[in-house]
Amino acid sequence: MTTTAVTKTPQQHTDDLLLVANDRDRDAFSRLFDHYMPLLRAFTLSAHPGSAILADEVAQEVMIKVWRKAHTYKPEFASASTWIFTLARNARIDYLRKNSRHQSDIDPEYLWSEIPAEDGDPFQAALQKRSADVVQAGMSQLPDDQRLALKKVYLEGKTHKEVAEELQLPLGTVKSRVRLALKKLAVSIKR
Amino acid sequence: MLNHHPMPEVLADYASGSLSLSHALCVAAHLEHCAHCRQMSDTLVHVGAQLFESQSLQLHGDSIDEGLKQKVFSMLDDETLQLDSAPVSISDQPASKPTSNGKAYKVPRCLSQFIKGSFDSLEWVRVSPSIKIATLCRDKDGSQVALSRVQPGGKMPHHAHTGDELTLVLEGSFSDVDGIYRKGDFILRNSGDRHKPVVTKDAECICLMVLDAPIQFTGFFTRWLNPILRHNHAFG
Repeated sequence: MTTTAVTKTPQQHTDDLLLVANDRDRDAFSRLFDHYMPLLRAFTLSAHPGSAILADEVAQEVMIKVWRKAHTYKPEFASASTWIFTLARNARIDYLRKNSRHQSDIDPEYLWSEIPAEDGDPFQAALQKRSADVVQAGMSQLPDDQRLALKKVYLEGKTHKEVAEELQLPLGTVKSRVRLALKKLAVSIKR
Repeated sequence: MLNHHPMPEVLADYASGSLSLSHALCVAAHLEHCAHCRQMSDTLVHVGAQLFESQSLQLHGDSIDEGLKQKVFSMLDDETLQLDSAPVSISDQPASKPTSNGKAYKVPRCLSQFIKGSFDSLEWVRVSPSIKIATLCRDKDGSQVALSRVQPGGKMPHHAHTGDELTLVLEGSFSDVDGIYRKGDFILRNSGDRHKPVVTKDAECICLMVLDAPIQFTGFFTRWLNPILRHNHAFG
């Protein structure tokens, strides 16, 4: 079951995910496990530092979801990483809902879909692919302060308000850093 | 054409999953109407995925326990854990029945968890001759989610906010000093804002409202509403 750590390209993860979807291929699943399990653990740990047990649990839950839901994955819309990130994000939302922060009668299942939103057309798929490429290319060019703001929002799961408090910056500064970063990543936002 | 959209940071908080569920409900309802923001939201997910993929793993140096992998593999064989069905899709939602005035309103998918059937099936509470309110839920953090239904031309009482208020126009339109808001428009008002919305004369207006804290009526004649609303229901 053990595979040595070799750097894989995004396309290989996507291929592996399709092998899991179509052939229930356990070797492919094992490769996905080796790549994503550490990322999934790190994702939980950045929001809940020190919670190793929680990180294991959530990562395990997401990997089982990968196995169970692989047939709903649509490679024309998103890379394997994007799809698995949405599973991890949704697992985090579920966890927060059951514990303290989001305690709510609102069922998140209805609010966040896994990419893509259903019944997307080929044109949408092409747009998505293109914007994903732009994001990928632009990410490494971001100044540190903008990148840090994005990281806090996405990985640590903090709202803009919480990031501002933690960095002791005015809320407006955090917002403008995020906006500048998004602008560079070609996320054109309507106002 | 929609003119009022969530701010970029609200969409980013939505895409990253940090937005509170009641606010996310309004964003999700907006996304059902707005292809542009849907596209933005998907792009913002790609941003998250990039950050996710490029996480530094040295920080959490401990390697993955081989036992954990075996455990996950043993769970794959569990027959009860086989293929999930696809998530509820928009097209699965039954169209709501025509209302008394003959219009067929479609309940947004994200609200179908609270509204079984049509808007008419809700328990509407009349708070003035032209205004009815139906509460959908209250969260433990104090926020309230409600629908308001105002007759054509109906005036909402002058009020100020004590917390953030999100409004999503589901049907009809209304206006205030800042402009006109139509179906699908997303409006965020911060605490301290005072405004006096009026529904346009052509049709009734149904809005989804999320209040982080109770609103205060500031008009001399409508101050009497405050205790009623604090006691009873959300309002906007």
